[in-house]
Amino acid sequence: MPSELNIPDINWSLLMPQLIIVATLLIVLVFDMIDSISKKTLGWMTIVGSGIALWSSINLWQAGTEQTQFNEMLRINGYSLFFNVIFLVSTILVALISISYLGKDDKKQGPYYLLILLSTLGMMLMAAGNELIIVFLGLELMSLSLYVLAGYFRESPASSEAGMKYLLLGAFASAFFLYGIALLYGAAGTTNIPEIISKLSVNDQPSPLSTSPLLLAGMFLLIVGFGFKVAIVPFHQWAPDVYEGAPTTIAAFISAGPKAAGFAAFLTIFIDALPTLPDQATDVIVLLAMLTMSVGNIIAIAQTNIKRMLAYSSIAHAGYVMVGLAAANAEGESGAMFYLLVYCVMNIGAFGAVILARTADGENLMISDYAGLGFRKPLLAIFMTTMLLSLAGFPPTAGFIGKLYLFKSAISAKLYLLVIVGALNTAISAFYYLRVVVTMYMREPEEELEFNPYPSTLVIGLTLAAVGIILIGILPSLLPTLA
Amino acid sequence: MLLSIVIFLPLLGVIAIALLRGLGASTIKWIALLISLLTFGISIVLYTYFDSGIEGFQTNSQLYEELSWIKSIGASYHIGIDGISLWLVILTTFLTPLCILAAWNSVEKGLSGFMMSLLALETGMLGVFCALDLLLFFVFWEAMLIPMYFLIGIWGGERRIYATIKFVLYTMAGSALMLVGILALYFQNGDSFNLVQLLAAEGPFDHANLLFLAFFIAFAIKVPLFPFHTWLPDAHVEAPTVGSVILAGVLLKMGTYGIVRFCLPLFPQAAADATSWVVPLAVIGIIYGALVAMVQPDLKKLVAYSSVSHLGFVVLGLFSQSGTGIQGSVLQMINHGLSTGALFLLVGMIYERRHSRMIVDFGGLAKRMPIFATIFLIVTLSSIGLPGLNGFVGEFKILLGSFVENAFSRWYVVFATSGVILAAVYMLWMYQRVMFGTPDSTNDSLSDLNPRELAVLLPILLFIVWIGVYPNTFLAPMKPSVDAVAAKVKVKDDTPEVGQLKYHEETQDNVVLKIETAKLEKIDEEALTK
Repeated sequence: MPSELNIPDINWSLLMPQLIIVATLLIVLVFDMIDSISKKTLGWMTIVGSGIALWSSINLWQAGTEQTQFNEMLRINGYSLFFNVIFLVSTILVALISISYLGKDDKKQGPYYLLILLSTLGMMLMAAGNELIIVFLGLELMSLSLYVLAGYFRESPASSEAGMKYLLLGAFASAFFLYGIALLYGAAGTTNIPEIISKLSVNDQPSPLSTSPLLLAGMFLLIVGFGFKVAIVPFHQWAPDVYEGAPTTIAAFISAGPKAAGFAAFLTIFIDALPTLPDQATDVIVLLAMLTMSVGNIIAIAQTNIKRMLAYSSIAHAGYVMVGLAAANAEGESGAMFYLLVYCVMNIGAFGAVILARTADGENLMISDYAGLGFRKPLLAIFMTTMLLSLAGFPPTAGFIGKLYLFKSAISAKLYLLVIVGALNTAISAFYYLRVVVTMYMREPEEELEFNPYPSTLVIGLTLAAVGIILIGILPSLLPTLA
Repeated sequence: MLLSIVIFLPLLGVIAIALLRGLGASTIKWIALLISLLTFGISIVLYTYFDSGIEGFQTNSQLYEELSWIKSIGASYHIGIDGISLWLVILTTFLTPLCILAAWNSVEKGLSGFMMSLLALETGMLGVFCALDLLLFFVFWEAMLIPMYFLIGIWGGERRIYATIKFVLYTMAGSALMLVGILALYFQNGDSFNLVQLLAAEGPFDHANLLFLAFFIAFAIKVPLFPFHTWLPDAHVEAPTVGSVILAGVLLKMGTYGIVRFCLPLFPQAAADATSWVVPLAVIGIIYGALVAMVQPDLKKLVAYSSVSHLGFVVLGLFSQSGTGIQGSVLQMINHGLSTGALFLLVGMIYERRHSRMIVDFGGLAKRMPIFATIFLIVTLSSIGLPGLNGFVGEFKILLGSFVENAFSRWYVVFATSGVILAAVYMLWMYQRVMFGTPDSTNDSLSDLNPRELAVLLPILLFIVWIGVYPNTFLAPMKPSVDAVAAKVKVKDDTPEVGQLKYHEETQDNVVLKIETAKLEKIDEEALTK
């Protein structure tokens, strides 16, 4: 019998954000080849393109779009659109802090922005994936671009090492993830996420499938795969080395968008699956969350290099997001989404402040280099302090509101121990964040450093981030309720 | 409306200074002083709106406000005051301008930052005392840490960094648990952070004992109750004079305020259960603080440890389950703010002249600085609790309430009373060594107080005497609110462990109460029929 090929109706307008990013990256590619154009404009093109995509995502979100496309492969709804906002905001901020960072070397600019846009596209696919295969596709698109970006400064051994390490461990994680998909397919007979989840329960009772070893093994491998990507303990070892070695802008980028993308897919699968899986699955997530927060924060205390400190802090923050995941309720989901947005902004801001502290000799990465900055470079110190206080979760910053939402969701799920551990971790984290503030305001510098003049794009990016963080911290209702 | 203005006016000052700091040091100082004086003035206007007859929070729209804040989670901008917070608000607005005046010439670097921190701190403290929404309370409680952290860390003494980090971490560890408690209460309060609703709710809440603990530890660290006190001497000694004044005058009161505002009325039964270990800790704090104060060679450290002792009295009174005792405690919060604040100011003034705080470096100061010595004596006596000055009224009421109500063994009260005697020992001995004896020739050049310093100290003296001579001005407005708290703690308490006699008395009280209620109902009925 001749089978008929069905071409589904595709509503392209729903894919506008993705298409705009594709268009932008093609434009960047073409303009990079024209020699007469200043390559600095490529950065601005990235910003404008992402800005339009952001605007289009917000429009779709406001319209309350709720549809699947491509035979239910992609899901365009409040969830995926909100994640688009997170990714695009991150991309814009990273592009803003990159323009001055890359300097005048024209050869470097084109591929850099191209890869950033490609990776953003991958993230958007991951968040919109309604199908494990699409999630994997997005994951690989994102990761492959990131491997190159991490090793982007070829002449620097640290950067090359970071790229190599990231590639090896990342490939490992992808393999785990793919293996997990295979096992899930074997158990459930489909790779469509909502279908798998609906098969887990029959009439609100857990179905036999939910305890099948094949399925549980598959889920476990997914956790391992995601665990690598979002750097939760014990799959976090790559993060500090990569963050330290990679160009600072790329460290900011890796710590923000990709982490959010990993969680986007993680949440899609587990928020709905966890309640139907055996209780032990929740226990595993709770345990991982507690481990991630505690290990991240405690090791961060011992760091003397600010990039490594921020790396461990970003591990700890993955742990906070896991709190929302463990709660496995609607509040947990929206709390995690809110937190990821806030986290991306404040973390990119913190890395941006590190870039702002560059001297003629290069970057100042030792925390002791920041001594006395509070009075010598007040603007820089205010930016850094705002970001760090927000990361530490002090009110009135957005970081506090984010943690509040997450802890609230876990309390409503009766995960008291998890919240107590989380809250105490907040106090621990205050120690190392405040130590940087102490160094800036309360210690005298050992030698006078000549700081570069502030690049205006960087200052714009940081101002946006700082104002956003404080504004959202005082009036969280400005950000509409999500999902 | 007026209350919001009082809270946020200092923040406006912060912004003004940030914008105008290029205009030079004296402009900054004057902006800060005028803003803080204006805040004090408006807070006095608040008092004129205050109706002493109201039990609970004032309903006048000038003193009470509720606006939507984070709708999705049921948090609101909800502020108001009652008899308990009224005087703490005024104490805060009263001490801040004095602090600014006291720091007039002593800040060498970063003057604008100093004044901004001080004013931001004032907003934070006022917010804590006025917030009627648990989340808003927590936001102010935590946000206020940041300016204090800078005040100690930038303008403090040699070991300031150690002291400031210790202070922040202690407080944060406590408040982390309080946040968990707040969230747990939130779900029992119908998804709302509204404190008024919580206070009116029919208890007891689920896991009341754990919730009590979550709040109490945060407050006990702030008070500080023995054995959570170790951050205090470090913070006090390293803080600049003004930091110490605010710390002793207002910040410590936030702990005791928290106990009387949250721990007692929300979890009366849990509080009654906790009496058995809180009261011994308070008494240990009273005696231990006094004994350690006695052997301090450093004036500032001596005053710091005396705070541990004094705050022990406050906690004792709060857990006395008697209106008299709690009233004494609330008044003693104010008293301690005035006398210890004044002591820190005086120590700061002598330090500015001599650059030493060691008792051995002084002697015979009374001859060189007679006005200073006189004021120091009055404040010392007030701190000891001499009748006729403010300290006596508070301490007497606390001890009386604790003894008569018999919520815990009277022996505790007896031991606590020895703290009063010890206070006389360490304070007078210190006074003797500093002021009398043969003058050291190195101190010959010390000048007496100047008009600015007198302007700082005399207003405090006025209140020290006023409270001592006619405490009713201050007690009358707080009485209805305090009695409401006391009634809540008392009626709910029916544990037999406090002794047969007590149990008997209480049943009688209940009978009286029932008769009273019946009478009221009858009157109501009559009114209705008419």
